[in-house]
Amino acid sequence: MVKYSIRRLTGTLIVFLALSIFTFVLSRAVPGGPWSQGAEMPLSEEQVAIFKAKYGLDKPLLVQYFIWLRNALTLDFGRPFMAPELTVTQLILKQWPYSAVVGGLAASLACVIGTILGSICAARQNTWLDNVVSTYAVISGTIPSFVLGFVLVYIFSAKLGWFPAGGWSGLSFKNLVLPVVAFGLPAAGGVARWTRQCMLESMSADYVRTAYAKGVRQAGVMSRHVLRNALIPMVTSFLPLFPDMMTGSIFIEKTFGIPGLGQYFVSSSFSRDYTLVLGITMFWAILIALTYLLTDIIYGFIDPRVRLTRRSF
Amino acid sequence: MTQELASLQVSPVERVKYRGFWTGAWRRFRRNVLAMYGLVFVGFIIVVALFVPVLAPYPYDKIDLAHGLEEMSKEHLLGTDQLGRDMLSRIMFAARPMLLVGFVTQVAALLIGLPLGIIAGYKGGVFDWVVTRFIDFFSALPWYLIVLYLVMVLKPSLQNLILALIITSWVNQCRIVRGLTMSVREQDYIEATRALGLPTWQILTSHILPQVAPLALWGFAVGIPTAVFAEAGLSFLGLGVRPPQPSWGQMLGESGQWWIYKPHMFVFPGLMITLSVLAFQGLADGLRASIDVNVNV
Repeated sequence: MVKYSIRRLTGTLIVFLALSIFTFVLSRAVPGGPWSQGAEMPLSEEQVAIFKAKYGLDKPLLVQYFIWLRNALTLDFGRPFMAPELTVTQLILKQWPYSAVVGGLAASLACVIGTILGSICAARQNTWLDNVVSTYAVISGTIPSFVLGFVLVYIFSAKLGWFPAGGWSGLSFKNLVLPVVAFGLPAAGGVARWTRQCMLESMSADYVRTAYAKGVRQAGVMSRHVLRNALIPMVTSFLPLFPDMMTGSIFIEKTFGIPGLGQYFVSSSFSRDYTLVLGITMFWAILIALTYLLTDIIYGFIDPRVRLTRRSF
Repeated sequence: MTQELASLQVSPVERVKYRGFWTGAWRRFRRNVLAMYGLVFVGFIIVVALFVPVLAPYPYDKIDLAHGLEEMSKEHLLGTDQLGRDMLSRIMFAARPMLLVGFVTQVAALLIGLPLGIIAGYKGGVFDWVVTRFIDFFSALPWYLIVLYLVMVLKPSLQNLILALIITSWVNQCRIVRGLTMSVREQDYIEATRALGLPTWQILTSHILPQVAPLALWGFAVGIPTAVFAEAGLSFLGLGVRPPQPSWGQMLGESGQWWIYKPHMFVFPGLMITLSVLAFQGLADGLRASIDVNVNV
């Protein structure tokens, strides 16, 4: 177990390092930088030099990287050039909750709807119901979330007036419904497809036949035997959905005007705000790595076999 | 092996003569409604894209401010945008960047991923280790992140968008090809060719490649809807096709504050994105079912 954990941890650290080097080199590889914005009033050489010295951009690249790395180890990612009144960490903590709430709710919605639809499909395999739901699953996966967002806003805000149409005005139920649905529904299609496949696979197992032979009703077999065993491959692929969606969809945030991290990421890459880009990337990487770790732990809870084999390490 | 499998699947009731793997695949493909829709729609889009200068009623960049934001009429079948440009013409011209992104990225991904995957899977060793690390690294990141970086470094344009998508999509192709090659490598007939003293390149091209080809073809097909999706999304954010060149995603992004009063501005580009992604996805799914590739995705 200890050996396994150490191997996992070093693997994660190597990915972090590679990621930070990749982003670092890429973001500084371009001519120009934050100081070359606003070409109407170009800064003089002297001013650029002062600016570079202030942010330590005049040092060799390798030195810059190590300074950044040393600070990053204490979660200090520096200050963004565009909004120096906050540190990158503060900015992330201030904006991320919006992305996290919308994404988290959307991922939950996708998991709930997807699991239900997928189970129905598996239980009624190859009937018209299965066909309808399967077709829906394919189609829903092909509608971009921002297109669905436009359609939802047009119908429910502009025409029916159920929800505010004027964009974002803080975290509230009315503001959340449409973005969550627009973000969650396309993902639900994929979840449904995967659930169906996992359920069908575990339905062909011997213990399922035994359960039927004992006279257990279909609902009982489905919930107690099939779903519980299908949960293992399902959880592995659904849990990463949460960090993926909670990091914020740039598209949803643009469509609904949500001031989340995705928006900041796009605007900071347009303005070449290195520190912010690096900070947000590392934040995402940490979040994703944590979920994979969590997935492993949850594995042990839902599948006793994993617990047993792990102990024998 | 594949031939054996394919002939086994022909049910005895039908008594169809076995005419080869691809004929059987086509027969199975034809029965798939979504796949046939995909074929028809993609064919239609390709024709439109090829002959658009003749077919389109107006040039895509003809500004006519006197007729801005008009709804559907005889002169402008799908209405006009905020600058009075004809929506139908713009939508037709936008088929070009969509197809270009879809096909060019996947052809390039195939040209990079297929040889790399076959060699890495067959040879193993250091080369395989390096390729696998690359695959790991690129699949750890969300695709749009990589695209955003590259677009940030190289400035937004259609060429750079294509470049960025090639970098993210060869990885998928390479991974599936490498996986299959590794299992094919262990089979007896490959060992037999080795025992016969065939040079490695000949084993790869005439014995492994035919086994891997259906899977690579599927990888190619399934990459297209992803690329089309990506192009629409990034153009929506203003990171793709540069104005005045039209793209469906960019038309949505540009519809800005008007679309809520003028639904024709988002309905048609949005519909085109959805229909084309669905068509390419249908093609890929149909292909997968008809050539019966077993892949874990």
